Amino acid sequence: MERTNVRRVVVSGALGAVSAVMAITPLGYLPWFGGASLTIMHIPVIVAAVLEGPVAGTVVGLVFGVTSLLKAATAPVGPLDPLFANPLVSILPRLLIGLAAWAAYKLFRGKMTPLAAGFAGAVGSIVNTVLVLLALGLTASEQLSGAFGVEAGALPAILASLALSNGLVEAAAAAVFTSSVVSAWKGIEGARGRSRLAGEKG
Amino acid sequence: MRGLEFWKHVSIGRYVESDSPVHRLAPATKYLWLAVVVIAASASRSAIVVGASFAAPLAFARLARVRASFLLRGFTPVLPFLTIAAAFQVLFSWPGDASRVLVSLGPVSLSSREAVAVALMALRFAAIMTAIGLFTSVTSEGDTARGVEDFFKPLERIGFPARAFALTIAVAFRFIPIVAGEFESVVKAQAARGADFGSGTRNPLRKAKAYLPLVVPVTVRALERAEALAEAMEARCYGVGEATRYAETAGGAADVFAKVSALAFAAGAIAAGAMASGAMAAGAASIR
Repeated sequence: MERTNVRRVVVSGALGAVSAVMAITPLGYLPWFGGASLTIMHIPVIVAAVLEGPVAGTVVGLVFGVTSLLKAATAPVGPLDPLFANPLVSILPRLLIGLAAWAAYKLFRGKMTPLAAGFAGAVGSIVNTVLVLLALGLTASEQLSGAFGVEAGALPAILASLALSNGLVEAAAAAVFTSSVVSAWKGIEGARGRSRLAGEKG
Repeated sequence: MRGLEFWKHVSIGRYVESDSPVHRLAPATKYLWLAVVVIAASASRSAIVVGASFAAPLAFARLARVRASFLLRGFTPVLPFLTIAAAFQVLFSWPGDASRVLVSLGPVSLSSREAVAVALMALRFAAIMTAIGLFTSVTSEGDTARGVEDFFKPLERIGFPARAFALTIAVAFRFIPIVAGEFESVVKAQAARGADFGSGTRNPLRKAKAYLPLVVPVTVRALERAEALAEAMEARCYGVGEATRYAETAGGAADVFAKVSALAFAAGAIAAGAMASGAMAAGAASIR
């Protein structure tokens, strides 16, 4: 199927909407051990980057970032939400998810789509975790040390442990979800093995 | 079963149809003010600038007849968090804090620098919240997308696709209720087949797994709808010729005035910020 500009624009909008809905409803969080939750809101961003390229990924990332900024500023729920009412934390890191995921996907040069998509998902997710935590650490170290109840000096260690514990599981979840969505959309059936019709493009 | 109507209790943006000088401003002007205020409030180190960026949206709110209490409604859930942060500011003193001590109670003391830090943090948040809340209550959805196009129009000369960008935003707005509806129907369909989201099982791995057959169909259906929409638009020759607009957002004298004052505000903020950091550097030098 030929990718025209209109198609790219509309698909970015639709995936932006998926991301926005996840960001403002509880659907964007997977329940996980010990009351912690994993975010899956960035998955539409990665899917957009994989399917439509880096520009679409950046635009969907922008929509996602703006929505989380809006949510943090108008309807904060958690103790960390207020810190996201800062474009440096909520928007800037999200712009780079798509770029990183697209680059990771391109490494496979169009082969092994499910694996490549999964890898892109993991890379995009790690970029999200690391950059958001980095931005939080840089812009709001005082507030964060208050929220966690530690002195400012111990903050890098706490952020790093967060990145490892939550970030790695999130990366794994993102890999599974992205791979599933992209495979389903491209009509590649992994386990059940649907044969492709002659002339049908993947 | 609880929690199936995801969309009912969520609202983002609460546009209220009304007629005021602020409502009548061109969307691009509103964006300019929003950008200036949010950036000033989040990035500036100067207390005066942060205070001014809190006062500016409040003044606009008065002009737009939007109550300040309505804009600051979301502030209550943040208060406990602010209290904790303030308590920690007081408990742990800053290394090398040479400012005047305001209150002292045994080993715990509140220096003026700590007090300023806490107040600034609260003020920053309140400023951003009022600015965004006000923007969403005086700008309709259509204007939000049109404003993006107008705002980025100057960049079109260097090849920035302002029109396409605005269309993406408009499509996203249009798709949000559709996607929310899809989520709802898929959750209901899965629940009817005995799927369980959240409550029953204790195993988080299984809970997480339950989301896969939810997210995948919703995303794929959104993609299908997008393809259909794109096809329909192409069949109607969208993107071939110059696109026109049905509603022109005219910019009057008030608009020009608002734009100029936004730029003046930005310039003032930068100047005040530079002065504040200059003063800080001078203070640091004098301590040494």
